[in-house]
Amino acid sequence: MKDQNTDVLYGLYDDEQDLLKAVKEAKDQHLEIMDVFTPFPVHGLDPLLGLAESRLHIAGFVYGAIGCLFGFGFMTWVFTRDWPIIFGGKPYFSAPAFIPVTFELTVLFASVGMVVTFYTICGLWPGVKNPTLDDRITDDKFCIAFNASGAEDSEVDKLKGFFSGTGASEVNMKTI
Amino acid sequence: MNQFTFESKQKTILLAFMGLGALCLALSFFMDAQPAHARFWSNFLHNTVFFTGIAFVSLFVMTAFITAYAGWYVLFKRVWEAYAAFLIPGLVMLGVVILGLWTGWHHLYHWADPAEVAKDPILEHKSSFLNKNWYTLGTLIIVGAWIFFQRRLRSLSLAEDKLDSTGDFSLHRKMKVVAAAFLPIGAFTSAAMIWQWVMSVDAHWYSTLFAWYSTASWFVACLALTILTVVWLKSKGYLEQVSSEHLHDLGKYLFAFSIFWTYLWFSQFMLIWYANVGEETVYFNTRRHEFPVMFYGNLFINFLVPFFILMRNDTKRKYGTMVFTSLIVFFGHWWDYFLMIKPGVLETASHLGHGEDHGEAAGHGAEHLSEAASHGADHAGDVAHAAATHASDFVSGFTLPGLLEIGTMLGFLAFFLFFTLRQLEKASLLPKNDPYLEESKHHHVM
Repeated sequence: MKDQNTDVLYGLYDDEQDLLKAVKEAKDQHLEIMDVFTPFPVHGLDPLLGLAESRLHIAGFVYGAIGCLFGFGFMTWVFTRDWPIIFGGKPYFSAPAFIPVTFELTVLFASVGMVVTFYTICGLWPGVKNPTLDDRITDDKFCIAFNASGAEDSEVDKLKGFFSGTGASEVNMKTI
Repeated sequence: MNQFTFESKQKTILLAFMGLGALCLALSFFMDAQPAHARFWSNFLHNTVFFTGIAFVSLFVMTAFITAYAGWYVLFKRVWEAYAAFLIPGLVMLGVVILGLWTGWHHLYHWADPAEVAKDPILEHKSSFLNKNWYTLGTLIIVGAWIFFQRRLRSLSLAEDKLDSTGDFSLHRKMKVVAAAFLPIGAFTSAAMIWQWVMSVDAHWYSTLFAWYSTASWFVACLALTILTVVWLKSKGYLEQVSSEHLHDLGKYLFAFSIFWTYLWFSQFMLIWYANVGEETVYFNTRRHEFPVMFYGNLFINFLVPFFILMRNDTKRKYGTMVFTSLIVFFGHWWDYFLMIKPGVLETASHLGHGEDHGEAAGHGAEHLSEAASHGADHAGDVAHAAATHASDFVSGFTLPGLLEIGTMLGFLAFFLFFTLRQLEKASLLPKNDPYLEESKHHHVM
């Protein structure tokens, strides 16, 4: 699948309100949107596209819980079993003193774990080839993309008609 | 519906609860086992400070939001305006505490007793700040200043409603000046007042974090009460445009400030625990050993409960969950103030009882002299004695909040709500000319 090239028909919009209207319109016309690209998160776009809520935060909670238990457990083991030292006349098991480090490890595990999970899910790693439809969608353009591989001319015309009807400033075809 | 009407049935219910509160106060006054009506006075001080603080924090939040160009809260800002107006009855109730300070009706404050101060170098050293004049003038001037800002802000906000066009920002500009001026004044003066009202109950002890910590406690209590009020008003058909989006942000505040409160609580605890200086650890030692349920329960209901309930996105958008959590957290911070005030009052009262017995038994000048000479050792003995007797004792109304305490709290809460609902009635719930009203209507967080 990865090696196969895809023909993409995409339209660019100047404004996120136009984009939201166009996505609604596409839904009404039962057009299957391949993807939408925006330079910043657009409120209300996710439910319109019918995207499920991300479950990344559940993974984050699990990583955080592991970090919390690991940090606290590790310090407990070190200071009561492995290498007990008395600090400032405190008992070996000095729970309050472990809390700041436990907190830091919770945050560290949760954040690093979520970043790694996110990159893995997205298939991002160093040196990955990442074809972009148009450089301007990372700047100020909003883009709706349709998969036009093997589409007949009539279908392409229909999509082009949709773009001109919803106020797209530009329509292009690209093979990626 | 933009005009709130305070129905007579609601008035009756609130008046009944106020009656209950008055009854509980009276019962705790006449059935007090402690010397100098310590249970009654500590209940009075506890609730007065707690609810006055909520009024102060609502004013503070409002001014902070105006200064920060925040818009989302505008739809329900009249609730906070109404809360802030409670500073006036708050000052009156603090006036009762002040009156008691001068007439000697109560012995809440160890430092207020000249005989105790004379034989105690620590109290003598602190007497330039912990004295009746400072307490009285500080409270009157500082709370008076808060009331000045509250009235100014409220009158500007009401005047804005009467403007002809929404495009007139002149009054809003004035509000911004008032708000920005109040922020530093409110921030610094509230700390000074908390030292006087609450921290000086443990007159020997001090903590530089205490003002932060107890203000954070007020803050969370204020947010919880705001959520309850907003949801109640919505259930009555008011504030139609306040949606789960606004509730979500209020929930985020409740969540974030519960964590902030825990952070300050722990910072204060850990530094004192680690440094292990006797003058400082006595505060936590008393609470851990004589009030263990309160001490650990405090962390449970004010940190673990809101932390785990409000962590997820969707719980902050559900009315039922938010009401449930807010009820717990509101009670939790009342409990937190209970734990700040009661042990110190009990300690002072036990000294008082002890001292009176001593005085009756002594009667001889010579004995008195020798006592004064060896007062250092004597004092240590007193503390040890008090600690030994208290460790095993359950003191009703102090070790745990009793029925009288709960009833008093309900009475004060009813008074607070009665007063604020009367304020809500005086103006439209919708500040129709606020420049940020439109933004608030379209507030979306997801």
